[in-house]
Amino acid sequence: MDISKRHFLTGCGTLIAGISIYSVAKELAGSEAGASVDQTQTIKYAMVHDENLCIGCNACEQACRDVNNVPDGVSRVVINRTGPFGEYPDQSYRFSRKSCQHCEDAPCVKVCPTGAAYIDPDTGIVGVNQDKCVGCQYCIAACPYQVRFINPVTQTADKCDFCRETQLKQGKQPACVEACPTHALVFGNIRDPESELVKTLKSKPTYRAKTDLGTRPKLFHVPTIDGEIVL
Amino acid sequence: MSAFHFDGLVWHWPIAIYLFLAGLSAGAVFFGILLKHFKLGKKAYQSRFIQAAALIAPVTVCAGLGILVLDLTKPLDFWKILVFYNSTSVMSMGVLVLMVYQLMLFAWIGAIFCTPIVQWCEGRWGLVTRGLIKLQQWEDVITGVLLILSLSLGAYTGFLLSALIGFPLLNNPVLPVLFLVSGLTSGAAATLLVGVLLKGNPNGIEVRFIHGIEIPMILIEMAILFTFFAGLILSGGQSQVAAFNALGEGFWGWIFWGGVVGLGLTLPLAFNLWMKVSADRKFAYVAVTASFSLVGVLLLRNFILYTGQMTGT
Repeated sequence: MDISKRHFLTGCGTLIAGISIYSVAKELAGSEAGASVDQTQTIKYAMVHDENLCIGCNACEQACRDVNNVPDGVSRVVINRTGPFGEYPDQSYRFSRKSCQHCEDAPCVKVCPTGAAYIDPDTGIVGVNQDKCVGCQYCIAACPYQVRFINPVTQTADKCDFCRETQLKQGKQPACVEACPTHALVFGNIRDPESELVKTLKSKPTYRAKTDLGTRPKLFHVPTIDGEIVL
Repeated sequence: MSAFHFDGLVWHWPIAIYLFLAGLSAGAVFFGILLKHFKLGKKAYQSRFIQAAALIAPVTVCAGLGILVLDLTKPLDFWKILVFYNSTSVMSMGVLVLMVYQLMLFAWIGAIFCTPIVQWCEGRWGLVTRGLIKLQQWEDVITGVLLILSLSLGAYTGFLLSALIGFPLLNNPVLPVLFLVSGLTSGAAATLLVGVLLKGNPNGIEVRFIHGIEIPMILIEMAILFTFFAGLILSGGQSQVAAFNALGEGFWGWIFWGGVVGLGLTLPLAFNLWMKVSADRKFAYVAVTASFSLVGVLLLRNFILYTGQMTGT
């Protein structure tokens, strides 16, 4: 039996090595295919937040709360304020939007053990299937933008879904976009060259957060010109 | 910012305990298999230390899974993890490993304790006897698969955290190796501790065998810890910030230098070396050394989990 045990162990080792190499190779091939733009998808929603137009009034957060029934204590969108910069009376603030970036290569979707976190193939929106979510919070820890939270009512992972279940179903723009008094938010289909979104992206310089992690987020920011230069 | 509550903290101490228990179970099985294969052979079931390993491994892995389930926000829905799988998710693959591991673990225990159980049955329950004898025939295969699964489980506890790309201290290729080796150490320590508590001979061949492996393993663990943090510091940027936040002054710095390095690695290494040169091992020596190792590994799990989540990219 000694020889057969050795053979067995060698076989097992080879099998495991084979499986891991195969899966890694498949993953690599898949990610290369994913990196090239998928032209068959006609709708891919994205958003631009113009930090120069934003005045930090939080109307977006309130509208989102009302429309999507977001409980107190948690929030799908937050406007973070930094500053003030400069000397009185010439002072200014910077505002940045913190919400789901609807990554093309979403870490939350990758780590979800049940597949409750998913990318909707029709719209590119990252969604949460509440029935499948067990609340392990792996997605919350995996999201580098820290936008996910446990909804205290449903006890499942929750976050911005571009109002897919509410406003979009009624053919309207997301609640935050409609509520913004300065038109700092632009929402639209990145595949449609005539959309206001694409026109904004082509006319203003934008940045996306933490792109070095390979997440390919679809929330764009127009950077603040005003304020201090920080090294 | 307090040590246990800060912005961005998602996973709390129950996860650290789960990682500790899973690694400990894997380690106990690993050393149980080595002990039987290299030292004890057919009469392994008579050894207090094999009995200890066979007791610790299932209890800790089940306790760990229990903690994990209770830590879900919807504990009653845990079965969904067993029904739905996602091949890109480390957690999902870990669940798969854990399920097969538990199955093989009980099969292994059945196989090595076949003789005493069949004797105790005295011909009653023919089905049990036949099943156990079947298991004993397949013992070599079960042992081989279980050995691989125990190593996978030990490494999985690290991969679970290293998949979190937003935290440079956790998203570190050395982490799974570190958790595997420290998990094996804790398994060895727990086997020794429970073994001597079960009145096993503290100067027996089992203790000598495990201690012989423990000394190089502690040295390797120290080298891995050094590589882990040296790598972070040399990476610069947020990785460097994360390393200095973790190792610098403050609660977790003390835990690392005093608890992990001092109590968990240096003292057991010194005791092991002392026991190697002194004539015989006594109960107190073995028990205290093992306890220090166990506390050190438990502190390491908490230290990595908390300091890892302190600094994002």
